[in-house]
Amino acid sequence: MKDRIKDILGSFFISVTLINVAMLVLGSILMPQQQFGYEVFIYPLIYGVIGIIPAVIVREGRELSVKQMIIRHVIQMLLTVVLLLAFMFGGRTVDRELLIIAASVAVSVMIIYAGVVVISWFLDKKTADRMTEDLIRFQERQNSGL
Amino acid sequence: MDIEIKTIDKDRQEYIEIGCWRVDERVNEIVRFVKLKQGSVEAYKDEKRYRIPLADILYIEAVDDRCFIYLTDDCFESRKRLYEFESILPAEHYIRISKSVVVNLMKIVQIKPALNGRFLCHLVNGENVIVSRKYVPDLKARLSGDTK
Repeated sequence: MKDRIKDILGSFFISVTLINVAMLVLGSILMPQQQFGYEVFIYPLIYGVIGIIPAVIVREGRELSVKQMIIRHVIQMLLTVVLLLAFMFGGRTVDRELLIIAASVAVSVMIIYAGVVVISWFLDKKTADRMTEDLIRFQERQNSGL
Repeated sequence: MDIEIKTIDKDRQEYIEIGCWRVDERVNEIVRFVKLKQGSVEAYKDEKRYRIPLADILYIEAVDDRCFIYLTDDCFESRKRLYEFESILPAEHYIRISKSVVVNLMKIVQIKPALNGRFLCHLVNGENVIVSRKYVPDLKARLSGDTK
């Protein structure tokens, strides 16, 4: 349970940071003249919360293989896209402009999601390398009888 | 074959060295005997009973109510439960890495990331076994020698 909360919080904070970057890039390209008030600071947090909803809902009862874990991540990512699009554009009339923005948002979410997974993977890779070094030392210790 | 025995200092690991022209069945027989003297477990394959030297085990996996012992290129079934293996196997070499797997630390070549804070142990025979998040701290502590 503790690990799950740590996981979800980690994903949330990485997501919020990447959402800020995505809003900066998308806004500069699609609506460079747009002005905002202070309320804009709440949106990355809301989007971050929406982004972790699938991770909170989907639980694995047994140990998943790496392939199954990748499939789970893809499903979670698609769920996140659907939730975000529903939150941002739900109830609005669909026109060409909206479709372009929605597609940009969907692509951004996918990039952000992949970013979160890649960053987490690199952090784990550092840990794994350290553990491998410890393992080699451990085996040398055992073989020399110390 | 001449036999030479020499005593060594207590701070060194005991060892057996065999000088031979080539590794044949006679030498393999001696190696098997020495390994069995270091401990073994009973296992089954095709209804036949075998004694598996502990030093040869890569990992033991529990699947439903059955336990499987994996060697470099062979697999045997055991009637023991995983927790029973934990008490039999030498604690300095074996560690539980998930709900269903106990691995021999001396048979791991590399540790790799496996998404979501889990890790993969790459074994000497090319197989990978997953380390669950829950067991990562224990593995880290064991490898770094910090077992408090």
